[in-house]
Amino acid sequence: MKGRRAFWLLPLALLPVPLLLNPYQQYVLNTALLYVPVGIGFNLVVGNLGLLAFSNVAYFGLGAYTSGVLMVQIGLPWWLTVIPAALMGGAGGAIASIPALRGVRLFYLAIMTLAFGELMRWTYIRWESLTGGSMGMAVPTATLFGWALDTDRRRFYVFLALVVLIVAITDRLLRSRFGRAFLAIKDNEIAAAAMGIPTDRYIVLAFAWGGAVVGVGGAMLAISVGHLTPVSFDLTELIRQFAIIMVGGLASLAGAIVGAVIITAAPQVFISFPGFDELVFGLLIVLVILFLPRGLASLLARLHPAFVERYYRD
Amino acid sequence: MTDAPLLSVRDVTVRFGGLVAVDAVSFDLHAGEICALIGPNGAGKTTLFNAVAGNVVADGGNIRFRGEEIAGLTPHEISARGARRTFQNGGLFPELTALENVLVGLHAQVASSFLGLLLGRRSAVAEASATARARELLSTMGIASIAERKTGALSGGQQRMVEIVRALATNPPLLLLDEPAVGLAPAARQRLADVIRDLAHRRGIGILLIEHAIELVMSVADRVIVLNDGRKVADAPPEQVRADRAVLEAYLGHA
Amino acid sequence: MLALLPQLVVSGTSTGMLYALIALSMTVAYRATTVVNFGHGDMVAAGAYAVFVFGLGFGLPFLIAMTLAIALLFTAGFAAQRLLLQPIVAGPHLSLAMMALAIGYTVRGALRLEWGNETINPLRPYPQDAYLFGNIVVTTDDVVIGGCVLLLLAALFLLFQVTPLGKVIQATFQSQRGAALVGINVPLFHALMWGGGAALGAIGGVMLSLITPLTPDLGQWTLIQGFAAMTLGGFGSLGGAVAGGILLGITEKLLGFYINTVFIEITGYLVPILVLMLRPQGLFGRRAVLRV
Repeated sequence: MKGRRAFWLLPLALLPVPLLLNPYQQYVLNTALLYVPVGIGFNLVVGNLGLLAFSNVAYFGLGAYTSGVLMVQIGLPWWLTVIPAALMGGAGGAIASIPALRGVRLFYLAIMTLAFGELMRWTYIRWESLTGGSMGMAVPTATLFGWALDTDRRRFYVFLALVVLIVAITDRLLRSRFGRAFLAIKDNEIAAAAMGIPTDRYIVLAFAWGGAVVGVGGAMLAISVGHLTPVSFDLTELIRQFAIIMVGGLASLAGAIVGAVIITAAPQVFISFPGFDELVFGLLIVLVILFLPRGLASLLARLHPAFVERYYRD
Repeated sequence: MTDAPLLSVRDVTVRFGGLVAVDAVSFDLHAGEICALIGPNGAGKTTLFNAVAGNVVADGGNIRFRGEEIAGLTPHEISARGARRTFQNGGLFPELTALENVLVGLHAQVASSFLGLLLGRRSAVAEASATARARELLSTMGIASIAERKTGALSGGQQRMVEIVRALATNPPLLLLDEPAVGLAPAARQRLADVIRDLAHRRGIGILLIEHAIELVMSVADRVIVLNDGRKVADAPPEQVRADRAVLEAYLGHA
Repeated sequence: MLALLPQLVVSGTSTGMLYALIALSMTVAYRATTVVNFGHGDMVAAGAYAVFVFGLGFGLPFLIAMTLAIALLFTAGFAAQRLLLQPIVAGPHLSLAMMALAIGYTVRGALRLEWGNETINPLRPYPQDAYLFGNIVVTTDDVVIGGCVLLLLAALFLLFQVTPLGKVIQATFQSQRGAALVGINVPLFHALMWGGGAALGAIGGVMLSLITPLTPDLGQWTLIQGFAAMTLGGFGSLGGAVAGGILLGITEKLLGFYINTVFIEITGYLVPILVLMLRPQGLFGRRAVLRV
């Protein structure tokens, strides 16, 4: 456990990195950063709570469009849209948890949440006055207290701060009785209730916190790409997010971080053809499930005890 | 025992569609008393038990626990009021260690709030004291050595002990044991019987027990309630029940 | 307005037949293995592309191309179950769902890599005509698809209800452990049913290739429509899948015409959500939610 202090050195070590990167590499690193909260939120529900909710792209889109629309329609500066994006993502999560509260589980839940995600994508396409429809909407340059976040390098520091904050809070959450309750619900929901855990409330909590965190990732996406289209929230995006948590490692914070970096970097290694992402992500997931069911985080844990997380299970 | 009963079940009826699983059953359970529910398969034991624990909602009747009506409350509300149960086969969290299982049992007593976590206040103190308490509980049952092991990998006897420790973590006045002896070797059964007796007679916990192992029932129970076809057919000390004709009929069919 | 009702029901039934076939193909694999194939839509799309490759690419006659496509998909489904799902069959549901999904994405990625995002126009192996019955228009597509699906359903009904093989399949659906006890090779059965499901899906793909332009994303839409039909019919019921598919086809058309055209696009999304919220067991299905 002592070695964990060293993890705070990681963001510090990242501070000078932008000096070494060209703008494109910086953009890729920013993308990896914004996928960290996306993976964390997804992992919380699927990995820790153990519920098959396939609606992560819905919270991602809700966060991105909330941020974009508030900037375009009301003219809010970006930093003021982050909290609303989190709230909308969290609300999306809470809505997606409703079937789970009604007792819907397993594949049934997966199908419902998948349909919910697709319905949201359809909404972005159809609500043209707000979202620009399938052509998308241009997102203005973000500002932070009057400071223009007009380069990837500037955005990098803001993203890094947000990611550190999200990782720190989620880490605390998972190490508390809440995190233990999530794992208990995954293992045996009825026994968890018999131990005095209000399971419904905890399911909503996990979905809402997960959705909020993913929503922040969406707000980061909005200013990182500068142009939002519904295609960014389709089923191909879902497989990217699945690949992050499966390849990184289920029910593991480190897994979400490692997964976000690997899955963002992997397609950059090759010249990108349409379809290549899906092929690579699909194959990666197949291989990980067959040969490394606990993902890369389990390798890290084997490498050094400091990587063993208390909420990590193998 | 003239004091008010710990648990008072009055005319409880549970129906599944047209089937009357439990039919107007009444009984009382006092603090420090071990009461066994027995009966042939399908007699309604588990359903009655689940009704008390809140896993099944009774269609009629009253269930009072320490004077408060608990029929219609959810399992976690009943658990929080101090009636804690174990499960027939494996109510543990197999991926969690024995210690973590007990910590989940202590859930309600770990003082930490979600908002507190968000604002950065560490729940470390609450966690540390809960962990200390969980370790102490495991060692009083003599199973401190398995604290760090995942319960999915433990033997049947060890699992049963962890489950009882977990249920007892909050010092509940009522313990509901669902077939605790199933799958246990004779030595482990003996030890279980000693633990049950100790909990009731020394610590004053009321125990409601479903059990098929009749010799265990006869050796630990202060009272035996016999159910047949959802009805109570006997409610007496074990030696009387053993001699009861109605009980024989329940088990052997209509003589 | 009401005068158009019979027309809407007829065209709805025609589309619904296709949904029925897709839902049925998903149900076969689901009943056998209790794993929902989240990659099934892409299997259907692969079937559609295969018939296109064999037919236009290799210049084979349509019926031969179709037979080859079905055989190819049977092999693919069989192999996917054998090599990729069977090794993890004892694992958590999430791994099984993810494996199926990942296989589907791999297929979709391969399709997109080859054809990019271009659309391929429908094959037209027969002339496009329309016939008038009273004031109802019936197209050749309606006749061909409806006829093929009906023939297939009749054949499947005979297979399941009359032949000894069908009895074995039904019995194994009922109790896998019982089937294992009487000497049925259950893993082989699972692989065969996945192969069978994929082959049926390929027939659905062939039918789709007759009426819609092909894109690699065809599987996405197919999966959702298949799920909607399955939930309507009650998960796991073969007859229910057929009824659900037809019901879905008609509902889409009626809502689309009488309320708003957007319903043609979103009925498939709304149906699983609404049905499972109101009746978590599906309209005709058994309860499959959490219980003590």
